[in-house]
Amino acid sequence: MFKLNLKIALRNLWKNRGITSINVGGLAIALAAFILVMMYATYETTFDKENPNYDNIYVVGITYPEFKTYYTAAPFAKAIKQNFLEVESVGLIKESSFELTIKNGKKTLFTGKILAADYNAAKILNIQPKGGLVQPSGDVERLTYLSDKSMKTLFPSKKDNKPEMVGFGASNSGITGTIAGSIKNNLHSNFVFDGVSIGNELGNGDNYDMNNYTICLQLKSGTDVINLEQKITDLYQAELLKSKKGKRNDEIKGISAFLDPLSNLHLRPKAGNDTPYKILIALSVLGILILVIACINFTNLSIAQATKRAKEVGIKKVMGAFRLQLTTQFLVEIFMQCFVAIILALILAELILPSFNNLFQVQLTIWDLENKLFWQLPLILLVITIIAGIYPALVLSGFKPALVLKGNFSTSKQSYWLRNGLLVFQFSIAVVFIISLFTINSQLKYMQSQDVGFKTNQVVYIKNLTLFNKPAKMGSVNFEPVREKMLKIPGIQSATVATYIPGGTNGINSYSANGVKANIDFVNVEFDYFETLNIKLKEGRFFSNTFKTDTVNSAVVNETAAAKYGMKNPIGQTITGSGIEYKIVGVIKDFKSQGFEIAVQPTIYTINDPHGDYKTQIMVKIEENRMAEALAALKSQWLQINPKDGEDFRYEFLDELYGKLFKKQEQLQSVFFAAAILTIFIAILGLFAFAKYITNGRIKEIAVRKILGANDLQIFKLINKTFFVMVLVANLISWPLAYILTKKWLETFAYRVDMPILPFTLSALITILLTIVTVTIQARKAVKANPVDALKYE
Amino acid sequence: MIKIENLEKVYKTEEIETTALNGINLHVKEGEFVSIMGPSGCGKSTLLNVMGLLDKPESGSYKFIETELLTLNDRERSNFRKRNMGFVFQNFNLIDELTVFENIELPLIYNKVPAGERKKLVNEIIGRMNIVNRSGHFPQQLSGGQQQRVAVARALVTKPKLVLADEPTGNLDSTHGNEVMELLCELNETGTTIVMVTHSSHDASFSNRIINLKDGHVISEKINKGRTEELI
Repeated sequence: MFKLNLKIALRNLWKNRGITSINVGGLAIALAAFILVMMYATYETTFDKENPNYDNIYVVGITYPEFKTYYTAAPFAKAIKQNFLEVESVGLIKESSFELTIKNGKKTLFTGKILAADYNAAKILNIQPKGGLVQPSGDVERLTYLSDKSMKTLFPSKKDNKPEMVGFGASNSGITGTIAGSIKNNLHSNFVFDGVSIGNELGNGDNYDMNNYTICLQLKSGTDVINLEQKITDLYQAELLKSKKGKRNDEIKGISAFLDPLSNLHLRPKAGNDTPYKILIALSVLGILILVIACINFTNLSIAQATKRAKEVGIKKVMGAFRLQLTTQFLVEIFMQCFVAIILALILAELILPSFNNLFQVQLTIWDLENKLFWQLPLILLVITIIAGIYPALVLSGFKPALVLKGNFSTSKQSYWLRNGLLVFQFSIAVVFIISLFTINSQLKYMQSQDVGFKTNQVVYIKNLTLFNKPAKMGSVNFEPVREKMLKIPGIQSATVATYIPGGTNGINSYSANGVKANIDFVNVEFDYFETLNIKLKEGRFFSNTFKTDTVNSAVVNETAAAKYGMKNPIGQTITGSGIEYKIVGVIKDFKSQGFEIAVQPTIYTINDPHGDYKTQIMVKIEENRMAEALAALKSQWLQINPKDGEDFRYEFLDELYGKLFKKQEQLQSVFFAAAILTIFIAILGLFAFAKYITNGRIKEIAVRKILGANDLQIFKLINKTFFVMVLVANLISWPLAYILTKKWLETFAYRVDMPILPFTLSALITILLTIVTVTIQARKAVKANPVDALKYE
Repeated sequence: MIKIENLEKVYKTEEIETTALNGINLHVKEGEFVSIMGPSGCGKSTLLNVMGLLDKPESGSYKFIETELLTLNDRERSNFRKRNMGFVFQNFNLIDELTVFENIELPLIYNKVPAGERKKLVNEIIGRMNIVNRSGHFPQQLSGGQQQRVAVARALVTKPKLVLADEPTGNLDSTHGNEVMELLCELNETGTTIVMVTHSSHDASFSNRIINLKDGHVISEKINKGRTEELI
């Protein structure tokens, strides 16, 4: 019997190959999208999961009144270890803040990120160099390992894992060191590095004023984390009180500690934003919705095909087939189609994967034995077979043979509401996606066209290791000679150096003015900073070397900072911080250094800051049409211009760096573009088949109407009317939902467009137009047919 | 063989009730060939459907060789039907996706006849029906008369005790119609009981007995003498 059913199924599918391909193809496309989303979700939620102590590892964070951070003081690690039995192990890590050059003869490696870790941290984080983790001897020894890739760059022909001598910094620096071996760089970890440097103990000389390290803890299983969090907060406050005698008690009371589990760090760190998590949720919902739409289609199309199979069901029942047999037969048929769809989906997913990986900056592969997909897929196959197949199977197997075999049977009345409901549901989702896509587009357009308050397009950011602080800090030098030499190069209009570049994060420090004390952003700059970035002046003046006091105690603030301190006439007023009483000489207009998501922060710019960070970020403004020439000159003369940085001239264009702030939104735009196209495509496929089915059911009616004198247009109108109403209903249903969702999304931007109306009208127009075209194409055949043929068997 | 007593069947729609069968009494002997005639809507097809266990009446009794069939559940009805009854329809009702051979084989499969046996039985009946050279064809490739032959072959292949025919010549020209009627007669002569619904008195003349229905009642019964003598 199975063989015969198989024959019937295959011959049927072949006979209706058009609809079959729509059905299977639509499902395959949706499944491909779903597979990718699932793989991505699995990848994103399993960072560091290979760590055997995954569930017991926490990072200590500190909550200040204005912000949260993972940076804390090294001595606190020791205090935690000494005080709490439930803490199994405490480790310290620190990421290098600037690029390091490592040399082996002529071969140069620029390391972006070197992770410094103490031996305990290395054990907690499961950092495993080749040949195993070795404990460094004594206090001074640092065992440095480079990632395989970095090692290849420096020692291309190296086969063994023996230590190697290398030079650090410029070749004239004379600093050498040893690389202990190589380490596999795990990109699927929260702690990604080009190299790692392991010491027995870190931060030995540090005190509670120096928040330079991140503490990670391995807790004993079953620890009450909330209770421990409270105890750690109490300890931290006590330690602060002990160490900072001058600090006010109530100030310390406002500071608390928290524990963030390792599983949180990648997607929703407590000290950071949870946008990746939200995007992942949105993406997962999207994937499920697309699959549901495709399943709905499948259901609708299968039922639409039902009239053709009714006779078969009738005959089989007359021959003695039980209903269960027929239900199973149809389920098996649908299972086969789903199976083919899954195979096609895997092929499709494989084809799309490179672009997907590129878009989301991940390295997903399907053909990995550890891929969870291999047990997930059979499950999906089963679930979609049941979702898409159970209803049609029950409808088909439920036909009454006495009715069916009369030969004039039609199913159009059956399950009318359900099928219309499913169609409306499909279109509602499609409308939500279309509206979201248009809203994302208009926000992105706004971000691209809006004046951000400064100009990045002619500015080159030069990576540099020389420190240019004033007053001099551990070996820093004066920037003036460097600037003078650079300005001699034709095309270079201005040059400056600062602690941070726009697009990155600024430092935060406490400043008081006008009786108000607040933590605000600070940037330490050099002359020409504002001019290089084309930042606009509101009142007063920029820094200038004609004013001797500028390098001592002058400050420039932005509009928001002036407002924060409630200063009506800021020029000439005093603002105190870092132990200096600064005089405000200028107020600049707010500029969006952090993009559009974060509101402009109150910021102070000073040249002199004894407690500031290192001024290393050189920015040069170059005439646009002499860019290549100027860069070539900088490269060739770099050793003379900036001898301490060495011979390696490295630069990036500031507009590209700033553009990275838009990357997440552009990703979202691509995803929604694909989702909107997919849902619309699948919904139209469903509509196409559904319209065919409805018209088939009305062929007799159409024929009668034509005989009675209806013209083609009237009949097109008649058939389109139902669908028009359905799509309109779908639009009305989805508008409020789309409104709420897009509004919520827009609210994640500090600077955003007003809720646009255009997407809503456009979505209605698009869906209605597509519907009319699809339905009319389908109805054409029925309308153009000779009415006599339809009535022949009356 | 068949005893039908006080059979009632009512079709209900939202607004109206139509009585299709109104206290029908009917006895059919083994080996008989009965025609049921009457105007459109008189209930003849309903009666045939009830006899074929494709429809359930509201009340009454339907005994088939002393077994009461109206108390059976769906599964039991299916089982009874496939063991004892064969059907021939006006519009042939062959499965378009199956070949002639496969269409005829279908009821044997549902009766769980082993494959070797099936092949033998199907080939036998194909020979009898004179459609040997058509066994690999699909229904659409055959003429109406040939299609009805296949349908008859399918109805007979399980050697049923009762064949129910619903206007078997309704879609055929007179030549092909006569061929099918002769086939049914031959069949009847080998001992198969046949109940046939028809509009055509020509077709009815092939049977032993003609029952006339009107508005769900049996209004007359006529013995076809020539054919009845043969039966005796």
